[in-house]
Amino acid sequence: MTEYRSEANNPIRTFSAGAENYSLSGSIKAACADIYCSRFVIWHLFKRDFVAGFRQKLLGYLWIVISPLIGVASFVFMHSTGILNPGETEIPYPIYVFFGAGMWGLMMGALGSVSSGLSVNSDLVMRTGIPKISLAISGLASICYSMLVNLVVLCAILMIFGLVPSWLAIFYPFTVLPLLCLGIGVGLILAVIGSVARDVTGMASSLLGLVMYLTPVIYKAQFDNPVLNEIVRLNPLTYLVDTPRTLFFNGCVPSPPGFALSSIFAVLVMISGIHAFYLVKNNVAERL
Amino acid sequence: MSDSWTLRARGISKKFGLTLSQSMKYGLKDVIRKLLGKPVDTARLREGEFWAVRDVGFELKPGEAMGIMGVNGSGKTTLLRILNGVYPPDAGFVTLRGRVGALIAAGAGFAPMLSGRENIFVNGSLMGMTNREMSSVLDEIVSFAELDKFIDLPVKNYSTGMFIRLGFAVAAFSRPDILLMDEVLAVGDLNFQKKCFEHILRLKNKGTSIVLVSHSPGSIWSVCDSGIMMDKGRVIVHGDIESVIRAYDDQNSLNAFEANKRAILSSLTDKTLISQECDVETDVSASSLPGSYGHSRGGTGDAICRSVRVLETESLRPTDKVKFAESFALEFVYLVNKKIDQPIFRASIDAVHYKFLVSIDSLENGFSPSAIDPGKYVLRVSVLKLSLRPGVYSINTSLTSRRLGIHIFYWMAATSFVVMHPENLFLYSNDKAIFFSPCEFILERLD
Repeated sequence: MTEYRSEANNPIRTFSAGAENYSLSGSIKAACADIYCSRFVIWHLFKRDFVAGFRQKLLGYLWIVISPLIGVASFVFMHSTGILNPGETEIPYPIYVFFGAGMWGLMMGALGSVSSGLSVNSDLVMRTGIPKISLAISGLASICYSMLVNLVVLCAILMIFGLVPSWLAIFYPFTVLPLLCLGIGVGLILAVIGSVARDVTGMASSLLGLVMYLTPVIYKAQFDNPVLNEIVRLNPLTYLVDTPRTLFFNGCVPSPPGFALSSIFAVLVMISGIHAFYLVKNNVAERL
Repeated sequence: MSDSWTLRARGISKKFGLTLSQSMKYGLKDVIRKLLGKPVDTARLREGEFWAVRDVGFELKPGEAMGIMGVNGSGKTTLLRILNGVYPPDAGFVTLRGRVGALIAAGAGFAPMLSGRENIFVNGSLMGMTNREMSSVLDEIVSFAELDKFIDLPVKNYSTGMFIRLGFAVAAFSRPDILLMDEVLAVGDLNFQKKCFEHILRLKNKGTSIVLVSHSPGSIWSVCDSGIMMDKGRVIVHGDIESVIRAYDDQNSLNAFEANKRAILSSLTDKTLISQECDVETDVSASSLPGSYGHSRGGTGDAICRSVRVLETESLRPTDKVKFAESFALEFVYLVNKKIDQPIFRASIDAVHYKFLVSIDSLENGFSPSAIDPGKYVLRVSVLKLSLRPGVYSINTSLTSRRLGIHIFYWMAATSFVVMHPENLFLYSNDKAIFFSPCEFILERLD
């Protein structure tokens, strides 16, 4: 257990044996305190990874825009050749798929960067006392940055298609927050379990890849099979992906109770993730 | 002031699994128990686990420096990681008061694509410094690391020396209250190392408490006042730094001695017998003895030395350890098959890096029997004045005759022994030197 006490500019830290007896609220408070204390580190790590990631590359920062466009192009191609039938979409399919894939990418990106944050920064875990949660979430900054760039590209695409979004589109950043929370929560759980059993993260990512097909990401996810339809209806991701898109273009929330319950679910997953992370984070360093 | 400590450790222990699969099994078990809110008994060893650090405790005051010594695998680095909060202890606790700077693997964490300047800010923030603090010491860091115009070059283009200098400079200028260092003082050229030592001592004089892990007695002795010596996770010596360095050096000698002994045993044939005292007694027959040079043993077969032992002078008890500058005895058991006229018994002593340092010859010492008849003999030689420095030594023996220009029998590295550090002298100057000579020094001013 780590205790922090302050004594007139003389911080005292104690590392002692015994189970980490964080309460649920204790974990959340500790996470907030840790992240606040190490905000400079998170910022510098983001700058380091961001700048280093685009140096010595021919197209540099353009890759942020090009990567999602290439992904969209493949779906548009499949659609145009008839391989993929997304169903009747209210908005042009390229925009539908760009938006959906962007949100899915946001969740998977958050999950991936949080779950691999500790192993990517393993040398810092092993030689510094930086709070582990800060290292785990340091990759999120670039995910948020990519989301902003995606939004700019979306605006450009909308102009090309001559489509005007609803004025409620300004709430878009808030509507994707639950999705981000879900990605962070699952990522935190995977970060600690994945450090002990390394294949768990891969398994979870593959499983979520399947879940994507039960979520209206690249098609409307309406099936002839009633069981599949029921699964889609009960899938919280259905509401978390569909609501921001519908609100953005149509200015309405298709299922307010569904979105509210899914959002609560996502926040609970994040809180559970933080709690789980704080309960077992100390087992992580010796397994890296 | 009794409570003016900066670092206090009590009974800290840490265990690890011996194999990866056990480590994963126990890791998953612990994780699941913790997630279910059940207590995990960390203070008990499970099957396949071992204590990497066991029941370590000490206290440091401001401006004190403590060295941690021990052979590889003794638990030094694990202890340092516990102090730095990387590993949680499985028993006990450690409390640190003030900002902690860790110099573990200087230069790790640098992004190769970024310039030296950019990396200074990244690494500074990792050390707990704000941008403003970093900006205020930026020039000092660049000047200390001697990088000047190269500071804006990506660090992937740095030489190893530049890379290491920058890593040390960033860490050393983070103004810590407690500085944890792991083998980092051996970086760069001599001038840079001198600067590092001076800077560390400046920090110490300003009240920084220092914990230094090193294999280098020179570094430890220069910086530290006290120390601990670890073996298999436990503290076996805790005291002034000289006694810790002595214990560490003796431990290294004993390890080398054990390795020597194993090598000697493996060089012998199946006919080797090993007595209770772990002395080597050979049952080699005259016919199986090589009749040429270039072997570990050889000879004509007229006489064979069956065992060589080191004894305490007065009690004549076999021993592996000899006290510095004290006399000891050598015992040779000979089986003589044919009468040998005017025999000359010889022995020589080898050190790790040098051969035939000392030659002990019966004729030179006035012992010259006219002949020895067939039979079994024991020869004891008292070595009276020999100031071998602490270390491990091995003994060669041979038998010749006044009228023969060859060896009737020879045996290289027949046995070995360790000279232990004295308690009243601190012999630290050169670990490759062999002899100690008491000298008198006079320094006179000429101008």
